[in-house]
Amino acid sequence: MRTMLRALTAAALVAAALLLPACRARITQATEVVATRVAALPASPADDAWTRTSEHVAKLILQDLVEPRLLTPSTGEVRVRALAAGGQVAFRLEWADDSQDDRPGPSRMVDACAVQIPRRFDTEPPAPQMGDAAKAVDVTYWRADWQATLDGRGDTIRDLHPNASIDHYPFKAQSLEEGSSAQREMEARYAPARALGNARSGPRKTPVEDLTATGPGTLTPAAVTGSDGKGVRGKSGWSVVITRRWPADVKDGERTTVAFAVWQGARQESGARKMRTGWIPLVAREGR
Amino acid sequence: MARVYNWQLGREMSYWYPENRPAAQFAAVFDTNKCIACQTCTLACKTTWTSGKGQEYMLWNNVESKPYGSYPLAYDVRLLEMLESQRWDGHTYAGRTIFEAAPAGERVLGWRPEDQDYSYPNVGEDDCAGQIDKGAAIAVPHMSWFFYLARICNHCTYPACLSSCPRGSIYKRPEDGIVLVDQQRCRGYQECVRGCPYKKVFYNPMTGTSEKCIGCFPKIEQGLQPQCFVNCIGKIRTAGFLSRPDQAKPENPLDYLVHIRKIALPLFPQFGLEPNVYYIPPVHAPASFNAQLFGPGAAAAVAAYRNAAHDADLAGLLCLFGSTEGVVRRWRRQGETIVALDGKNGELVRVPMREPVFIRPAVDAQHQLVRTNCP
Repeated sequence: MRTMLRALTAAALVAAALLLPACRARITQATEVVATRVAALPASPADDAWTRTSEHVAKLILQDLVEPRLLTPSTGEVRVRALAAGGQVAFRLEWADDSQDDRPGPSRMVDACAVQIPRRFDTEPPAPQMGDAAKAVDVTYWRADWQATLDGRGDTIRDLHPNASIDHYPFKAQSLEEGSSAQREMEARYAPARALGNARSGPRKTPVEDLTATGPGTLTPAAVTGSDGKGVRGKSGWSVVITRRWPADVKDGERTTVAFAVWQGARQESGARKMRTGWIPLVAREGR
Repeated sequence: MARVYNWQLGREMSYWYPENRPAAQFAAVFDTNKCIACQTCTLACKTTWTSGKGQEYMLWNNVESKPYGSYPLAYDVRLLEMLESQRWDGHTYAGRTIFEAAPAGERVLGWRPEDQDYSYPNVGEDDCAGQIDKGAAIAVPHMSWFFYLARICNHCTYPACLSSCPRGSIYKRPEDGIVLVDQQRCRGYQECVRGCPYKKVFYNPMTGTSEKCIGCFPKIEQGLQPQCFVNCIGKIRTAGFLSRPDQAKPENPLDYLVHIRKIALPLFPQFGLEPNVYYIPPVHAPASFNAQLFGPGAAAAVAAYRNAAHDADLAGLLCLFGSTEGVVRRWRRQGETIVALDGKNGELVRVPMREPVFIRPAVDAQHQLVRTNCP
């Protein structure tokens, strides 16, 4: 009898051990992205607040709509958690990536990720790959090189190539006073993208960029900005927080949609060469 | 893909966009036989346009020694290998262009150079095609050969950079055919760097955008030739506008050299871009090498060039190279003088075909002194 009880106890323990991950999965792996309401949004991906919301594991698929297409899958999934506070929502995206790619250069792409939300709530969402002409999408985009410069890396070629040899910059001539308007004007002449105010270019105040699109190839800087982010490199991948405006026309408990994209620099992924999700339901609700 | 006509291939080909030729096409002729690789053109461009942060490695203009020179490293042979057979059936290209050979998921057949590929801009400089045995170098004809190839953006009729950009950040100006990267729109995906077979688009890591030769369009708009043309010591270059072959005008210097005399040829026409910088091939390089670089017309071009001493019009027009900063729209020969005209038929310059010769006597009777000529 005692032997039988012992056997039953052991079997129960084994069953419990087997069931436990499944139970945990049920708790944390939501079928939708739930932005749990909190008092204040965390800026860091390591903040304890992220444990208060469920995790959605989103399968990534190839961008296969327009050339250049990605033909070989790279990043398999992105783990997403979301928190909401006031009119803001914060997403934490985590994905496995063997290498840290944050130094741009010829043939050097950088690691990046993005969050995409329909511009306006609609029961029929826009096309999942960058929206469509009738239905715009808002995109918030984070890049590892922008993060590196915000984390302290300088904005010179020697910060990217420590052994670079530079003969002379005309705008560094002794005849031009450092910081003078004449000097700045001359320097701008040799950096046309910066001179034209290309939001993609130049030293940054945040590691993210607000964009809008109405289909593939239409990505444009958004008129309204204000998003922020923070990416931290872990042992095996990235953990990135993207904080942006919650869609004003979506109330708590109502569902909109969200999509994600991930680029691995080491795999030469950039622009259209990316792994992405389809639309995933997104809802904001009070924490339990 | 659309079907477009590429006269350099003698046939239609596939291209990402429909045929849309500009009102006028900026073009140039470079005489490889005159280039001395002084790199003054390279520096003229460098100091004018690419002295900024992130542009340190960029050479919108470069001069490489052929057969071994290349910038970026092996830009030509890598693509030639990828393209496989490049057979010509007479003057019709029977192989595939980089648009027709594009793999699944790609817009063009291409590759992207890495940092170190830009690190040796003068690799192969003055290297001969073969070994020179002791004493052989002073023999004529030389046992071995090399020549200088000056390169800028070709402002192609069918640019691969333009067709590679997934967001339409590159455009071809309708008024002069100059190809530009919109620095406000570019997001630095480097698809153009990958697509351009001549590797004349460069990524700027400081601005995060790609940049390229702009054909000195602010000068072109004023009727002036670009910096690399007017600073050329060897006077190897002339810039102008090229008509379609069926609309060629003998009084247009570019039309005369390219379409009528067929003495200047495109670089790697088999790639399919209809490039608009035309080269007078080197007279001393093997015909097979010239044919691979400049297409099936190379041997005839060399023969015509060799005969220029007996060809007053051709020799005269070649005298105009480097003789004026203005863009020559029309030219004519008046006996031993060549006259260049601008777009409003104003005279730009008048050049004698033969420089006058003055013989100075050793004894100067007026000043009562003897001058010595030092060899």
